[in-house]
Amino acid sequence: MATGFDAQNPPFDRLSQPEAEELRAAADIGYFAPGEVIIARGAAADVLHVVIKGAVEAREGEALQGVLGPRDSFDSRALVHGAAGEDFRAAEETLCFLLPGALVRRLIARNPAFAAFFYADVSRKLEAFAEARLPEGGMESVLRARVRDAMRHRAEFIDGAATIGQAGAAMAAADINALFVRHAAQTGVVTGMNLAKAAVLRQMPLSTPVSALAHFDIVAVQADDLLLDALLAMTRHNKRRLAVRDGDTFVGFLEDIDLLGRFAGNSQLIPRRIDAARDVAELAEPARAIQDQVERLHRQGVKVEVIAEITSDLNRRLFVRLFDLIAPDSIRAEGCLILMGSEGRAEQTVRTDQDNGLLLGAEVPQADLATFREAFSGALDRFGFPPCPGNVMVRNPLWSQTAAGMERQLRRWVDARTPEAAMNIAIFLDAVALTGRVGLLDDTKAALLRMMRGESALMAHFAHLIDSFATPSLGVLSTLMTSVGVGEDAIDIKKAGIFPIVHGIRTMALDRGIAATPTAVRIAALVAAGALQDELGRDLLGALRVFMAYRIATQIEAVRRGTVEEEALVRPSRLTAADRDILRDSLRVVRVFREVIATRFKTSVF
Amino acid sequence: MIAWLRRRFWRAALADPDFLFLLDEPPVGEAISLDCETTGLDPWVDEIVAIAAVPVIGNRIATSARFQAVVKPDRMPGAGSIKVHGLRRRDVAQGRPMAEVLPELLRFIGPRPLVGYYIDFDVRMIDRYALHQIGARLPNRRIEVSSLYYDRKYGKAPPGTNIDLRFTSIRRELGIPDLGQHDAFADALMAAMMWVQLRDMAARGQRLKREGRREATAAPLGA
Repeated sequence: MATGFDAQNPPFDRLSQPEAEELRAAADIGYFAPGEVIIARGAAADVLHVVIKGAVEAREGEALQGVLGPRDSFDSRALVHGAAGEDFRAAEETLCFLLPGALVRRLIARNPAFAAFFYADVSRKLEAFAEARLPEGGMESVLRARVRDAMRHRAEFIDGAATIGQAGAAMAAADINALFVRHAAQTGVVTGMNLAKAAVLRQMPLSTPVSALAHFDIVAVQADDLLLDALLAMTRHNKRRLAVRDGDTFVGFLEDIDLLGRFAGNSQLIPRRIDAARDVAELAEPARAIQDQVERLHRQGVKVEVIAEITSDLNRRLFVRLFDLIAPDSIRAEGCLILMGSEGRAEQTVRTDQDNGLLLGAEVPQADLATFREAFSGALDRFGFPPCPGNVMVRNPLWSQTAAGMERQLRRWVDARTPEAAMNIAIFLDAVALTGRVGLLDDTKAALLRMMRGESALMAHFAHLIDSFATPSLGVLSTLMTSVGVGEDAIDIKKAGIFPIVHGIRTMALDRGIAATPTAVRIAALVAAGALQDELGRDLLGALRVFMAYRIATQIEAVRRGTVEEEALVRPSRLTAADRDILRDSLRVVRVFREVIATRFKTSVF
Repeated sequence: MIAWLRRRFWRAALADPDFLFLLDEPPVGEAISLDCETTGLDPWVDEIVAIAAVPVIGNRIATSARFQAVVKPDRMPGAGSIKVHGLRRRDVAQGRPMAEVLPELLRFIGPRPLVGYYIDFDVRMIDRYALHQIGARLPNRRIEVSSLYYDRKYGKAPPGTNIDLRFTSIRRELGIPDLGQHDAFADALMAAMMWVQLRDMAARGQRLKREGRREATAAPLGA
């Protein structure tokens, strides 16, 4: 350590060399005795403190919110927004760098990357951090690449009245294998493969007009869209080729080979491998590929919500294909395959459980059902989906039964008013129907909503689950434990961060009769309905993404080490000061939200 | 009375009346942490090659307002001392003569007390130049961090206690980071950090545990 503060330490690493020197030259050092209040809550500050040694407690009233240690800085809110969010009090003999506020504010105005650290709301801060964080391997260019950059096939148009022969000649002349077809007021697409199939397989005369072969349900992206969005569209619609528009005009095609090699996961190739599988054994390979791409996309720096979206699309396709391959006729006729929990919310990335079930419109032969249950869950076991710890899977008769039976079961859970029953209801609320008689799920959910409507005591009980795990005060343990050398702390990010947000939002969505399952969509719907403040909604989504981002990193690490118990543990002592800061902000959002839920649903009676 | 006499003698000895301000009443709550790097450890022979002075105002260490100078000695430093302070012949050759540096340093220090680790040595080094240039030694009060540390840690220690007053030991015990030793500014800064903390502990009557703080706090939690 040099005699100035460490300019490698975020957020100071965002400063240019001369800026860092300027700050270093202007820095003083302050000493604070144990118990001394360094900044009082609500007060402004004219210096930014960076801890050199010692420990500083952040307190809200009597509640300890966090303990800051060396390299942590405080308080950006007191400095920039004129009022500290908490009391900052020295817990030990503490030395801090004192960086003059006027200079820091000048640097904020000059250097946007540095400024990001001081944003008040978590979502903006998070975005700025995500921008600044370079993925491993220096492959970030692909994330910012636009469709325009990768598109290699320009647009050629042909009239719908032109013949197969003319279309083939036009393709050969332009050295492309798809044409836009103008037919009446519509624009469609005809591909070389369409021409070949028509002529060879269907023996259509070469004089047939191409309008008869063209398809008009074009999936298009904008030339200025991110390549990542194109990848999503290809994966979702299972298309090898996308039309590219610039405004209203078609300007070309983007083909899957244009993306090949750009995205490490090559997830756009997986859907076809799933569809091409002729038996369960052949599904194993694309199933593994889905999991592998999670780690690759993460390493490439793709945002966690995008990874979750891609993965969820692929998983769903896999489940549907598996169902098609093994469901006997009886189940195919009566069954509805459903996904629940995090799979239902499309928020699972690294596989942690199966979270699936089956609803039946009518009783089916017991033998069929037993065989199917075992075959379905067994196949997923072999594909590497860990059995759900809560046993939420097709194999469990509780989660694969007739819709009428499920409704009775839900009724019993509603009446039981135990935490376990409430948890089961929560899992079912996140269900989405994948294939089969999808109407069954809608009906069953509608029945559940009727049971819960107006039952304020029941809602309070349900909401109370949010307090299953307390939100930790970041750093309390870390300071205690590391100062005595016993060990270090760890935060279970799933219990402390993800669950309270997901469940609180789920409760509010249930209360408002919002049918959507993804948390982000529920938040948007709640904000639109006026049930949730816009600002809190944004912060909650930001915080959720922070937690998911940490979680995916710890999960990948856990998979690598083979220690699944630790999959959600984040160790603040191993984070950079900037990461600790954003984690602290995110946990603060959770704490505020718990209070909102407690007040609204009067959970305090428990 | 003795202090008054001492001041009278000092005033009489002072050759240059410009420096009478050294006897002024020091500003309340202010001190200067001082450190010199030298060509060796003999105040009669060796010379100063670097000086740093860091003001301490209350509990604030004003590093932004520090005084720092590299001094060009009459004789170039030997190989042994270069290893200690890292200032090569080429570096000190860039320095300024003490005749130029000393008046600036004295004006910077003023009547404030001087804080340091074995501060007597540093002051004795400066005194040699001061006697020569202004005809008097530095009259400033001296604050010795190692003796403050001794009070907190070994005061009333039973006979036979192993006493360790090494700079690094004090720094570690107080949890002060290593800023890189044998750089005049770093040493003066660390001494200032030690002083503000020891002064506060003395004011609160808090002592440093002799058997070591780590074991002491670990015991109840580990049980």
